[in-house]
Amino acid sequence: MLVAWNYRYRNSPMDHIDPRARFIFSFAVLFSATTTWNPNILFAVFLIAITWYSLGRLTWKDTRLGWFMISIMLFTMIVVNTIITGGGAGGVVPPGGQLVWPDGVLIFGKHLNLGLTVERLWFAVSQLMRILSISLVFIMIPYTMDSRAYGVTFSKLGLPDRLAYTMELSFRFIPTLARNFQVTLDAQRARGFELDAGKGNIIQKIRQVAPLLIPVTMNAIVSSEDIANAMDLRGFGQRKRTWLYQLKFQWWDWAIIAFSILMLATTLLLAYRFDMRLFSVPHWWYGLFN
Amino acid sequence: MTDAVPLPLVVKDLSFQYHTRSTPAIQNIHLTLEPGQIMLLAGSSGCGKTTLMRCINGLIPHSYTGEMTGDVLIHGQSVHGMGLSQISTHIGTLLQDPERQILGTYVLNEVCFGLESQGMSYMEMLPKAYKALERLHILHLKDKETFFTSGGEKQKVALAGVLAMEPDILLLDEPLASLDPASAHEALLAFRELADEGLSVMIVEHRVEDVLAIHPEKVLYMDDGKIIYNGDAAGVMDAVDYSRIKLPAPVIARRAKSHPAPHFQPTVPKIDPQSQPLVSFQNVRFQYKEDTPEVLHGINLDIRAGEVIAILGHNGCGKTTTVKHALGLLKPTSGKVLLEGVDSKKSTVATSAKTIGYVFQSPSQMLFAATVREELAYGPKNLKFSPQQVEDNVNWAIETVHLEEELPTPPLALSFGQQKRVSIASVLSMRSRVLMMDEPTAGQDYWNYQSFMSTILQTPGFDAIVFITHDLDLALIFANRVVVLYGGEIVADGHPQDILQDEEKLNKWRLLPTSLLKLNQQLWPKTGQYLCAEALSQFI
Repeated sequence: MLVAWNYRYRNSPMDHIDPRARFIFSFAVLFSATTTWNPNILFAVFLIAITWYSLGRLTWKDTRLGWFMISIMLFTMIVVNTIITGGGAGGVVPPGGQLVWPDGVLIFGKHLNLGLTVERLWFAVSQLMRILSISLVFIMIPYTMDSRAYGVTFSKLGLPDRLAYTMELSFRFIPTLARNFQVTLDAQRARGFELDAGKGNIIQKIRQVAPLLIPVTMNAIVSSEDIANAMDLRGFGQRKRTWLYQLKFQWWDWAIIAFSILMLATTLLLAYRFDMRLFSVPHWWYGLFN
Repeated sequence: MTDAVPLPLVVKDLSFQYHTRSTPAIQNIHLTLEPGQIMLLAGSSGCGKTTLMRCINGLIPHSYTGEMTGDVLIHGQSVHGMGLSQISTHIGTLLQDPERQILGTYVLNEVCFGLESQGMSYMEMLPKAYKALERLHILHLKDKETFFTSGGEKQKVALAGVLAMEPDILLLDEPLASLDPASAHEALLAFRELADEGLSVMIVEHRVEDVLAIHPEKVLYMDDGKIIYNGDAAGVMDAVDYSRIKLPAPVIARRAKSHPAPHFQPTVPKIDPQSQPLVSFQNVRFQYKEDTPEVLHGINLDIRAGEVIAILGHNGCGKTTTVKHALGLLKPTSGKVLLEGVDSKKSTVATSAKTIGYVFQSPSQMLFAATVREELAYGPKNLKFSPQQVEDNVNWAIETVHLEEELPTPPLALSFGQQKRVSIASVLSMRSRVLMMDEPTAGQDYWNYQSFMSTILQTPGFDAIVFITHDLDLALIFANRVVVLYGGEIVADGHPQDILQDEEKLNKWRLLPTSLLKLNQQLWPKTGQYLCAEALSQFI
């Protein structure tokens, strides 16, 4: 059975914003943040995203699992890919530059030349602002948007019924998978299963988690067939669909859409007309490492 | 002269063989269904009932491929030329497992799904949805999230979603499977009412006795893909093997008179009231989250060696939640659960599995192995049994559920009923001291569940057995103690004959007296104990 995200009405400003306006704003932030590497623009977008996030009145307890997942992604992208290996900065940060530790560093008694540059470090900060801006506006959606509103929102935004409903189902896939995983985990624990990651080689470890992965995967496949059958048996796709959940724009929704368009237009203008899309390091940043 | 109005449903010489199977699932099926008629379709697991339904509602050949001959006519029009969506305007289908059918996140949205697909306006769909909800007495659930409804409520919600579309043919695939007796009775009355209003209703159901109570105009009995009986309800009583489907107890008792009574002697040890409880619930309270209502309100329950306990109660009363506490899958919000004297908060589930074997409701969420044999060996291997013990346990478990021939088969390729039996066997093979089963008979035919329940209870090795069931007959035949939960509290606990004799209380707890219970009460002066219908034949 498809499960919805853990949404609850908080009477927050976000609860009163039309989901269409929210998606338009969120995509405006996404495109604005990915258009440029200019630190000033990224910082401005970042501040806007924080303000937007605060409108949801979400607590840490509500969203900690989501942020945990994002932290893993951030760690991989920023710490591993940008700071340690430098691979993520390729093509954006010019080669060479000022070393953060010109004389190397002493780690566990060993002298290491890390090759980390001030420019790459600033790139990591810029990337952090960019990813956090996007994460802030999108992570709050499942927690602050009524599960009944997804399909109608995508439909009213112009997507065909099939695609709109597919989008709704996709949003519900993650919590469904999490729930199925928990049920399977309980069922296998009841048969003496204990996850012991420390034992065996990689093949043995995969075999060890097979009792979890196979039922969850098979259920996901079978469920998708069931969902398709259940939809067909109730005439889905026969004609233009209507929606029980009603959406209505208020004046503030129009204001948010106008602001979104203005933000994106300004970013594009600054990036392409005033050539502010390329990566650059502010002077004060160099000052921190002298 | 006017042409005769075509019947809502005609099945002509229909045969179907799945591409993955070597033999036909159904052969030469003929049937007709008129407006206002209820047809009961009965038969043991794997007899072809579900395949026939799939042919009628269009899932075959649209979703399941194979070789189909013959025809299905809906109002005179062959389904061959119709799309699924077009068929759905005439035929409403309620699938066996409502969780596979529910799409909406809230009840009202779920009920309106079909109406939305038909392009109805808000003002058109709302009265239809309300009418469907009211008919099933679940209007109060309209703003509830579907995920948080109980099993029985889900069944009703799914049915309301079908009814809201106002089909003229209703196909119901085991609609009573997850309902408590009172809910099942209410659902059946609703089906009768719908038929009386002109709908054609086909019910596939193992609980034949229950459906006979609403006087179906036609009864079909299938075996091995063929129709064995097609006639009225009175005729089926003598036409079919009484051990295969659940007929009313007086009928079974009458027909079984000439056969030797089955011998049933449970092998659990004698109850010693002074012994240390295997499991002890001490004022257990539980709520899933801080902001959700409390589910269990102070459960006190000791399970001792020698006890065969049936846990009864209405849908959503907390039966599964209670049992999950015994294994430590859930921890009490307050109070304690002790397993052989050890607090469940201080032990792991894997450790507890050595004492308690717990069979989950849904088999598909645990089956993973390449063969049934490997599936059954998984638990004992985890518990570090010797290879010989594993082998012996696997063989014993598979014999208990009568699936010996399926040992080399992938469990996920089996039917739902067979998967359920494999899931039970995979826990049996661990030979835990206490066996706990959650709805072990759901989706099973009469012969299979009677047979494996008596086999389990007559097999040495278990100190105690606990099973959750909606089947009152199962409790009175097999249990020596009945625990009734109502609204998260234990409202009755004792011998079956003490608990089940008060009809008024049973009705209040949504457990309706069955024909077997009534016959047992009638014959009590002669028997002095509760017996199955076959055994009662000797006292008539």
